[in-house]
Amino acid sequence: MRKKRFIFLLTALLAVAMLTAGCGGGGEEAAEGDTIKIGFLGGLTGAHSHYGIETLKGMKMAVEDINAAGGVLGKKLEIVEGDHGSNSSEAANVTQKLITQGVTAIVGDPTTGITKSAAQICQPAQVVLMSAGAVGTGVVEIGDFIYRDVLLDAVAAPAVTKYLKEELGWGKVALVTTTGLPYSESLTSIFKPALEEEGIEIVAEQSIMEKDTNFSAQVTELTRKDFDGVIFTGYYTEGALFMKEMRKQGLNQVMAGGDGLLGKELYELGGNAVEGSMVYAGFAVDKETAAGKTAEFIEKYKANNDGNIPDMFSAQGYDAVMLLADAMEAADSSDPKVFKDTLAATKDWEGVTGTITFDENREPIKSPVYLQEVKDNAFVVKAVIPIS
Amino acid sequence: MEAIISTFTNPYYLQVASIMGVYMIAALGLHLITGVTGQFSFGHAAFLSIGAYTSALMSLYLGTPFILNLLVGGLMAALWGVLLGIPSFKLTGDYLGITTLGFGEIVKVVFINMKITGGAGGLGGIPRETNVVVVYSIVVLAIWGLYRLQNSRFGRALLAIREDEIAAESMGINPLLYKLKGFALGTFLAGVSGALYAHLMQYLNPADFGFSRSFEILNFVVLGGLGSIPGTVLGTSVLTLAPEFLRFVREYRMLIYGALMVTMMIFRPYGLLGGIDFGKMFRRYRAQRKSMKDKKAVQG
Repeated sequence: MRKKRFIFLLTALLAVAMLTAGCGGGGEEAAEGDTIKIGFLGGLTGAHSHYGIETLKGMKMAVEDINAAGGVLGKKLEIVEGDHGSNSSEAANVTQKLITQGVTAIVGDPTTGITKSAAQICQPAQVVLMSAGAVGTGVVEIGDFIYRDVLLDAVAAPAVTKYLKEELGWGKVALVTTTGLPYSESLTSIFKPALEEEGIEIVAEQSIMEKDTNFSAQVTELTRKDFDGVIFTGYYTEGALFMKEMRKQGLNQVMAGGDGLLGKELYELGGNAVEGSMVYAGFAVDKETAAGKTAEFIEKYKANNDGNIPDMFSAQGYDAVMLLADAMEAADSSDPKVFKDTLAATKDWEGVTGTITFDENREPIKSPVYLQEVKDNAFVVKAVIPIS
Repeated sequence: MEAIISTFTNPYYLQVASIMGVYMIAALGLHLITGVTGQFSFGHAAFLSIGAYTSALMSLYLGTPFILNLLVGGLMAALWGVLLGIPSFKLTGDYLGITTLGFGEIVKVVFINMKITGGAGGLGGIPRETNVVVVYSIVVLAIWGLYRLQNSRFGRALLAIREDEIAAESMGINPLLYKLKGFALGTFLAGVSGALYAHLMQYLNPADFGFSRSFEILNFVVLGGLGSIPGTVLGTSVLTLAPEFLRFVREYRMLIYGALMVTMMIFRPYGLLGGIDFGKMFRRYRAQRKSMKDKKAVQG
């Protein structure tokens, strides 16, 4: 009986401890006055933690820079972190919590799905949400408080196509799509009209499946066609294996594709077969063209991270905070209802990832596009294509 | 009502309370299947997703009233429950566990590949209809219904099947029919819970209804105490609130959560409230008091 009572007490104690701890975390009143709070929404743990951690690193650097220069509207910026463990049903709770903690804007989530889920909460709560990674469709359509500072395929693919035609002289291409993969299907639907516009002929269209490993049938089909290169809209694993099969069957063309191909697995798997293949992305470290802000950002990141170079997510996280801060300054207000309009009017804004303009639908138009090439088992910037 | 509540508390607490209630409904459904009837179902999240997608699509494309969507979501889940249950229950042993395990994966893959569900990109823009009042009204309704059910001939038949199927059959209970009815009811509750979830989160993604979600719900039921309604409610509350309130310890959150579960299982192997029947306790207490009174009356 005594033992039972002891366990009961222990459980009760735990429950009470948990409750009080919870109250301490959730019941914080929004401190008005001295700071402007910006929320971070992302996974610091779980499957997408890499994206979240990098975004937060970039954000922290931006906040440091801003506060060192005197803050925004005379107030210091403060980041409120919201880790949802890469779990989208927890993300709704975390977003709600950030809003109750009095944030004026939230930067996140790096993935499209969770951004959509968080946007449904931010829009009615009238808090600005700036995603530093969501590239899928149907994000900013949710409402006028929702923004993103990413490179959209709809902007990048036509520019890359133009480059392929004008600089590399491609006239005929083979288009390879991973069916059943939303990313690949949507990218194909963007590339098709772009190719047509540039007068590049699609001589062959092949479809593959995700997790396929044998592409001999599709490649045999291609050996009978004459083309200058392959447009590959899928992910790196299939891309690497597809190129290997092409080399095996004696085809020497290179491929070009979106950031789905961007991963060291591309050359680790593909080896010599992917040498010369091209991938575009919204940010890349290029020592030759990096100047001003970008060079400073890269140097500072390297100094804080044991010499590692920043990736797209940290750079976009940095830009997201800077964009918000500049919009607040320009609007002379940290009220989301006010500065969201100045944010929408952003034009040719210069950040570390390039310039950003929001179009009439509040979609970002980013310039430039970084076209990278695989060279000796590394991605090297081949061209920096400006978007006009 | 919603407005009155929201003046006393903040939206974050309301959100957490709502999601807790939604999980409670799902857990109560599994409680009937696993706790009362003793059938292991590892694909409860699949029924949740069927209810969620059915009701969400009805809201988006047909614009039907919320209550109807909830009902149809639940019925659709129950329909698939029956279709899955018929072949599985014809076999003796734990075949339901295996079929539901497979069913869960199939449903997920189907939703990923269907155009109308938005595929892997997810389904967004679902109107927010779920609120705390609706959720807890349904929770109360479900608890009351299950309590009545468990103390009826039907409920006792289910318990008999759990304890000994052959003995139950020899007493004139048709196990197939009873198990099927129990399973249909359990999956109905899962469907309703899914429908509430869809209209609370306003965004659905097939990845949210995977294997781990099924096990999460099973955890609620097992940790609270198999076969106990208060146990299921308590288990759900503890396990949904713990990760939320442990957020301040960051990376150690899941560690503490895990340790909490291990400790509980060591000290209370039958769950927090396993083997405790509040109804019986109350009756015993009353009987004790009555006998004391009687004694006093005799003495006096």
